[in-house]
Amino acid sequence: MGKLDVKMNKEGEKLNIQMSGVIDEDVDFQQYKLVGVQQISLDLNGILSINSCGIREWIKWIGSGVAAQIVFNNCPKVIVDQINMVDGFLPTNAKVISFFVPYYNESLGVEKNVLFRYGSEFKEGSLTPPSAVKDDSGEVMEMDVIESKYFKFIKK
Amino acid sequence: MQKRRFSIRYKILALLTLIPVFTLGAFLLMALKIFKDDKMAYVFDSTSNLSGTLASQIKNQLNTIIIGAKPLFQDYAEQGKFSGVSDSLLKNSPNLDFMTVYELDETINKLTMKSYIEKSPQMGEELAPKIEQLMARARELTKKQQRLIFSFDKDDRLFIIERVDNTKQQKFIYFGLLVQLSELEQMFKTSGAQKIFLIDSLGQVIFGPQEFIGEMLSQKMDLNFLKQAEMISQGVEVSKDRTNVDYMVSYSKVGFGDLYVMTSVMKEKALGALGILLRKSVIFFVLLISLTVMISLLASNTMTQSLTSLFDATKKVAEGKFNFQVDVKSNDEVGSLAENFNLMAAEVSRLLSRTAENARMENELRTAKTVQETLFPESLAQLGPLQISGFYEPASECGGDWWHYSQLGDKILLWIGDATGHGAPSALITAAAKSAASIIEWLNVGPAQAMELLNGSIYECSRGQLMMTFFLASYDTTTGEVTYANASHEAPFLIRKSNEPLKRKDLIPLNEVNNPRLGQSRSTTYIESKIKLEPGDLMLFYTDGIPDIRNPKGESWGEREFVKAIINANQDFPTATDSMERISTAFQKFRQGSSLVDDVTFFVVKNNEI
Repeated sequence: MGKLDVKMNKEGEKLNIQMSGVIDEDVDFQQYKLVGVQQISLDLNGILSINSCGIREWIKWIGSGVAAQIVFNNCPKVIVDQINMVDGFLPTNAKVISFFVPYYNESLGVEKNVLFRYGSEFKEGSLTPPSAVKDDSGEVMEMDVIESKYFKFIKK
Repeated sequence: MQKRRFSIRYKILALLTLIPVFTLGAFLLMALKIFKDDKMAYVFDSTSNLSGTLASQIKNQLNTIIIGAKPLFQDYAEQGKFSGVSDSLLKNSPNLDFMTVYELDETINKLTMKSYIEKSPQMGEELAPKIEQLMARARELTKKQQRLIFSFDKDDRLFIIERVDNTKQQKFIYFGLLVQLSELEQMFKTSGAQKIFLIDSLGQVIFGPQEFIGEMLSQKMDLNFLKQAEMISQGVEVSKDRTNVDYMVSYSKVGFGDLYVMTSVMKEKALGALGILLRKSVIFFVLLISLTVMISLLASNTMTQSLTSLFDATKKVAEGKFNFQVDVKSNDEVGSLAENFNLMAAEVSRLLSRTAENARMENELRTAKTVQETLFPESLAQLGPLQISGFYEPASECGGDWWHYSQLGDKILLWIGDATGHGAPSALITAAAKSAASIIEWLNVGPAQAMELLNGSIYECSRGQLMMTFFLASYDTTTGEVTYANASHEAPFLIRKSNEPLKRKDLIPLNEVNNPRLGQSRSTTYIESKIKLEPGDLMLFYTDGIPDIRNPKGESWGEREFVKAIINANQDFPTATDSMERISTAFQKFRQGSSLVDDVTFFVVKNNEI
């Protein structure tokens, strides 16, 4: 078993892909064919890290003339960072449906990832974050990202 | 290598040889002893039977003669002379040839002859001197010993002196009897290894081989055992003669006078079969040992040939020669050992080659590192109003990060890039970027156009295999504007000069534009954006290796700590050098000397314009 675990489930015209692990130069994306479907749903919740070689392989795979509509679900911070930084990581025929935003309580050192959903916490060009995110002790947590950088992809 | 002292071949040979030598030798000695004891027992048994039978026969015959002579004793004792009856009895006696009578003359204390009878005329006169001489010994007779027996003329005759107590006259009468025992005497004359003697208690030979008759046998061999044999009727001994030769002796008391029948056989001859057995056994033993030695030689050769090959091989290894194979065909443990040795030698050879190759590559990498270091500018610079201070540390000998600054007229160019991966391949791309930048910086083109030129150069070099994120900014010293283009690189932070405490939201990412990485496509078009750089403002350019810095526990420094370090380092809007040093101190403290997982590059730019 490689460092990346990929589970593909085709439901009619829709292909559901669930990924978890590490995306690096050892991943052979070409074995995962993205043809013959109208819609592709990528669940990226389990992605732990991605390096520059992994980015290269990703773009070659997902950006190589895939005609289907692609949606990114449950994008962790490592994926959102790449979407913002690397042009082409999110293909033009793809959009983010949901992604995680890290929150942090400095005094307690508590972290929490809050899922932002399309149509709820964000939509094209606008962001509506929760008014307050609290940790288990009820204390308000601070968004742990540079907003102008992390939510850049929404404003595109 | 330690020199062999005693080869295992000889040890095996010695082992395979000595074990049968000792076991067969012990068996041979034991078998010979048993055979010898058995043979001696057999010889003693047979000679004892012979001596006993002869003794019994002699006793019977002599007793018969004495019984036959008793009427003659009676006749003389009653008549004082031998009558015609005695003469007649003598003539009819087959064994008795002559009888004489002696009496002790007490006046002169001398034995004198009183009478005699003879079987043939003139016999008495002829025998008189000899008989006189023998009868003189009659005085040796005692109450306990009433009879003496002598050989007579070394022939088949015995002379017996018989003391008879004449109670009537109260005196002893000494009869001398000359008896002939031809048949018995012939039995003692048999020649061969075994000699038979009729001897008296002093060891004088009465019957026996001709050369011994009349001799004192006790002077020729040790007969002391006869002194102890008075109470013993029969026995066996091993006795030595005067030349120290062993004889196996068996004796039987006759029971007539002090006569003994004794047989003797030279022990060496009696045990002659033992010698034959010994010789044959030794020949068989030698043949067997020779065969064992030959088999042992073959076995030890076979067993040690493989080991010798291995030993020679280890000597070659000790000399540093690994490129060979041991030719061992055996299928046993030694064969397996040789096979493993060959594998080991091949592996060591391969590892040595790899080590040499690695050493060569390390040398090349060191050279490449030296060359790559020339690609980087001085870490501290002042270009126009901009103070620049940078930090660079590759994760290995060569890195994939590159940064640069240059000035052409009123334009100050700030370059930073990160090639795919890190190490030598990435370093080659940075060299290509540097080469292209060296030309582009003289073309007086904007960042977008410069980026397109740079993209073309990288694409041609890597053919899409390696890419590079890149950020290029151009500061116009006349307008104070920063024009930038981005090829998917980490957006630098702009920190506006402020008197308020610095917060996370004050870090402004220069991410208004973003385009594909250099080398991803030959025809990429880059767009640019502008932003005003005010006096006192800071800019931080960096690569993604900084958040990836790990501590000894393997924990990442992370974006949160990186942002916090940027804020803490620039609260007082220090010089670019101080800002750079504070940030590097922060991550070095976290890192605690751990190896980098990615190249770390950043530089701080401060607008010192007033």
